[in-house]
Amino acid sequence: MPELKIVKNATCTFCGCVCDDIELHAEGERVVETKRACSLGESWFKHHTAERLYPDALIDGKPATVDDAVEVAAEYLYRAHMPLVYGLSNTTCEAQREAVFLAELIGGVIDSHTSL
Amino acid sequence: MGGKVTCTLGEVKNRADFIIYWGGNPAECHPRHFTKYTLTQKGKFVPTGRKGRTMVLVDIRETPSAKAADVFLQVRPGKDFEMVAALRALVKGQPVDPALVAETGLTVEQLQDFVNQMKSCKFGVLFFGMGLSMTRGKHMNSASVLALAAELNAFTKFVAMPMRGHGNVTGADVILRYTTGYPFGINLCRGYPRFNPGEFSTVDLLVRGDNDASLILGADPGATMPQPAIEHLARTPTIVLDPKVTHTSKISRVHITTAATGVSAPGTVYRMDEVPLPLRPALKSPYPTDEEVMRRIREAVMKKPAWLPAANGRLAARA
Ligand code: SF4
Repeated sequence: MPELKIVKNATCTFCGCVCDDIELHAEGERVVETKRACSLGESWFKHHTAERLYPDALIDGKPATVDDAVEVAAEYLYRAHMPLVYGLSNTTCEAQREAVFLAELIGGVIDSHTSL
Repeated sequence: MGGKVTCTLGEVKNRADFIIYWGGNPAECHPRHFTKYTLTQKGKFVPTGRKGRTMVLVDIRETPSAKAADVFLQVRPGKDFEMVAALRALVKGQPVDPALVAETGLTVEQLQDFVNQMKSCKFGVLFFGMGLSMTRGKHMNSASVLALAAELNAFTKFVAMPMRGHGNVTGADVILRYTTGYPFGINLCRGYPRFNPGEFSTVDLLVRGDNDASLILGADPGATMPQPAIEHLARTPTIVLDPKVTHTSKISRVHITTAATGVSAPGTVYRMDEVPLPLRPALKSPYPTDEEVMRRIREAVMKKPAWLPAANGRLAARA
């Protein structure tokens, strides 16, 4: 039986409310209880696990290492005349800042869901 | 904040006695908005909670949120802009043509009542959702409700706030604003930021086939974008960072699995009122975070000679 881990004041990012008063109970690789979360938040927390369900990376659909995938990605972006960096929704501000830095380096367009 | 008259949700909770939701369905899309921030909480200056507040819902159909409202105003689809224009005229005491108002599906009396309530409240807030900002009129609708809220400040305290949706899209606006000066759709290909929605926004770029590679982070355009955009993503090199193998991953050359933000990846996200909050993940992911993979891709690009020759020295100094 894996140990029960309790996180107080956890933050839900499923919707723009970003409730930061959630109490999470985690057992091993999954969240088993979400106190104060609404039904959307609860299913979101329970849906994402820390299991290894997918390969680390895919290159042309074939399993690859992260090291190789990073190199191939960098080469594609570097070679492009007008690359696009898009999305930025389900990620952290820290990753968004890296995205801006990368977009500047490769001379690309950067855009988010807001433009839809 | 781009001239927007707004506030934080904490102020709404403690002060707002008049709350409007326009083109949004918080009961189903932001389930804890009513109970955590707006309607039912007792606030410092609204000690009686729900009893001390009035809520008006404006939408094209009676959603489950209407049950929580004191007044529901059903506007005809696509007539939001006309309705705001009439309200703004009434706020200023200008005459309005009843025939034009009738086109919105409402009467001048209903709108006049609405305006009287807005003017006589102590602290009003107008939340607007995608039913306003993504339908006919789009950003003109957003601009007009922002102007309405600003103009009401001649009579009382009034603010407006967009009901932002998924994840950290508010954070994307904030980060892009403070790094480049613009909120979205920014082209850096001349070495400095240029902003032009319609030209540099993703759907337009992809449908025209302007870009020749894409990096997709925290989104799944392969599931949501129009078909010609998806075809362009499949035709050109696309790189996806996502906790799952998504629709976009399946048409991309490179997919990298990352930890799920908030569940197993730490960091910061912005709430819809632009308050940044730390994440407290409960799980430990076997995958690297978005931040780490983005940094590694950026470092790999930095090892190559800069595309702007003059930038070579500067970039080396920043590394
Ligand atoms: S708990 Fe519910 S209301 Fe709060 S952020 Fe999560 S999904 Fe939104």
